[in-house]
Amino acid sequence: MRLRKLLTVAIAAGALVAGFAVAPAQAATEVKMILWPGPEGEAMQKVVDAYNAGQGKKDGVVVKQVLLSRDNTFAKEAALMKAKSSEYDIYFTASYLVGQHAPYLSEIKGVNDMLYLKASIDGLKVNKKQMALPLDTSLHFMYYRTDLVSSLSSAANTAKYKQISKTVLGKELSPNTDPETWSWDDALATAAFFTQKYNPDSPTKYGYALPAKNLLYNTMIWNDVLWGLGGNWYKNGAPNLNTASGKAAIDVYRTIYTKELTSPDSSQWEYAETNAALTSGNAMMALQWNAAYSELSKTGSTSGKVGIAAPPGKGQRTHVHALAVGLNKFSKKQAAAQKWMKYLATVPAMKNYAAAGGVPSMPEILNTMVSTNASFANIITYAGKYGYSESAGAREFDIYAKLAEVLSPAWVGQKTADEVASVADAALKSLRK
Amino acid sequence: MIRQRKDRVSAFVLAAPLLLFLSVLVVWPIYLGIKTALSRDLLSEFEITPAGLDNFRTVIAAPDFWSALRFTIIFAVVVTIVEGLLGFGLALIFDRKFPGKRTLFSMVLIPIMIAPSLMAVMYRLILNENIGVIPGVLQKFGWEFSIFDQRYVFFTLVTLDAIQYTSFAFLLVYAALQNIPQEIYESAAIDGARYRQVIWRITLPILKPALAIIAMLRLIDSFRTFDTIYILTGGGPGISTQTIGIYIYKTAFITGDFGLASAASVTLVLLLAPLMPKIIKQFRLDIK
Repeated sequence: MRLRKLLTVAIAAGALVAGFAVAPAQAATEVKMILWPGPEGEAMQKVVDAYNAGQGKKDGVVVKQVLLSRDNTFAKEAALMKAKSSEYDIYFTASYLVGQHAPYLSEIKGVNDMLYLKASIDGLKVNKKQMALPLDTSLHFMYYRTDLVSSLSSAANTAKYKQISKTVLGKELSPNTDPETWSWDDALATAAFFTQKYNPDSPTKYGYALPAKNLLYNTMIWNDVLWGLGGNWYKNGAPNLNTASGKAAIDVYRTIYTKELTSPDSSQWEYAETNAALTSGNAMMALQWNAAYSELSKTGSTSGKVGIAAPPGKGQRTHVHALAVGLNKFSKKQAAAQKWMKYLATVPAMKNYAAAGGVPSMPEILNTMVSTNASFANIITYAGKYGYSESAGAREFDIYAKLAEVLSPAWVGQKTADEVASVADAALKSLRK
Repeated sequence: MIRQRKDRVSAFVLAAPLLLFLSVLVVWPIYLGIKTALSRDLLSEFEITPAGLDNFRTVIAAPDFWSALRFTIIFAVVVTIVEGLLGFGLALIFDRKFPGKRTLFSMVLIPIMIAPSLMAVMYRLILNENIGVIPGVLQKFGWEFSIFDQRYVFFTLVTLDAIQYTSFAFLLVYAALQNIPQEIYESAAIDGARYRQVIWRITLPILKPALAIIAMLRLIDSFRTFDTIYILTGGGPGISTQTIGIYIYKTAFITGDFGLASAASVTLVLLLAPLMPKIIKQFRLDIK
């Protein structure tokens, strides 16, 4: 009996020792990071895989990327943040949101600002503290069909162009075949020329694809029109939309919709529908996000025939923002998450990101990887030359959403610019408090 | 005396799991909702501070809240009527024998089995003017239409809701129709009643309780409509298609004002609560 007891204890002790012997010295810490699905999430997965297979092993860190829905990632994060959740260690954020997210993020130290586009890195600072690390730089291009714009220069088309511009805009304009120098009048006249309602010979049904849905990201695009016409949200701290430039910018969208230069359906269009209008050959031009370049340059009617220009206007301006990742203040794995963030801030990591379809905010990479994505060269030029951000602080996201709500009825002709401009100013005033 | 006490104790013990369940899943969230409604609770501000009735004052003074409520009521009433009528009509058709009835019956029920958000995404694809299957086919026959034109968007939303939920009304009416004794119809036939008279004088009065239940369930359900409209229109243009659910969601998760969103929810409950006894009485629901 005693022998049996001794034997049992010996076997148990042996198993315990063996167990310790085969167990690793220290298990890797899992860091959970939120991103959204789409090109950014797909590209980031490649970076995550590379880290987990290499540097992550040295750091003792395993990164797990969680992709939430594209439409509601920020809503889910808002709930997590307000609950002071530690479930995720790294949040997805953006320069237009970082002011709202900052109370729930830890400062990221040791970031080399010189590696990044100035607009991108500075847009993620709150009270001079770096609250997030830039990933993609987003801005807008005026996409157009190169084959159609070049056809404008013929004598027959010039005469027709003048007549159509007189009918639609009340001004006789001559064709401008260099979209880089377009005013909004040029853009509208060209859109009218390529709309079958005014020109039955037009190969496209509509000249323009207008993303006019009540969606905050559509306000970001409309802002290019506002800034291009010399407007702004605020002037000397006071709301500035109920002005000549504010109303003119509203009227540009209103003209496109009410003159039927775009599909009536575009009152509910956003990014995907705008791309579909262009690639299907139904529309000739659109102001759209730089991320669309890969799709437009390789798909459908725009394949090999898509040109890029700066947004029209006297002072051609484009909205610029950076998508980013920030460290959850309530994460219980701060040290491990910092190690991953440190890796993410390196040139090799971001080169990997660019090769997988991302648009990193590092000029060095954008310059050297133009062969990967031809629009990279334009991003550096336009972000530096025309880039613009409202930097409206903690309520910026909120303001974009409110303006979409207030302005979209005028964009689609339900209301006039006069009716909505004063309401927009009142909203801007209350949100600036 | 002792027995009565024992009965009370065992009743409490038996009800305890349900009471616990209700406390955790109903009472506690309601308490938190009211507490949040009485607080200044913004995403952009880390600290939560008491706000008294400020949020309620803001909600009551907000035109957007009342506009969303008005749209929701109109939408709920219209879709309930449309779906009730279509469901009734379909049930009458399926109450007869015809070839392929089983297959068609299953097909009619398919939309209700699909998640509303999935249906909305599907609509966005198949109804898209540029890449959608349906506009593509119609264009081949020379019929072009813009289903999301801002002038018709309300009718579009009603139609899409009807496509999904008519089958619900149909199913309940059909089930009720099966319970009507055949002898009644036979008597009516002997008395020389026409089809319209049979429907009007016999079928409809017998189906009245079932129709009332359908109306109540569809009203309540369509009052909560969120997914389809949010995905298709985002509540726009402007706030022209914004339901109360979208208003509350946007206030909480885009504006980041959880206090105001909770106040809107509580206000909505306070506005609707007095109607419940009337609804129950109207529909003669026998709740004991």
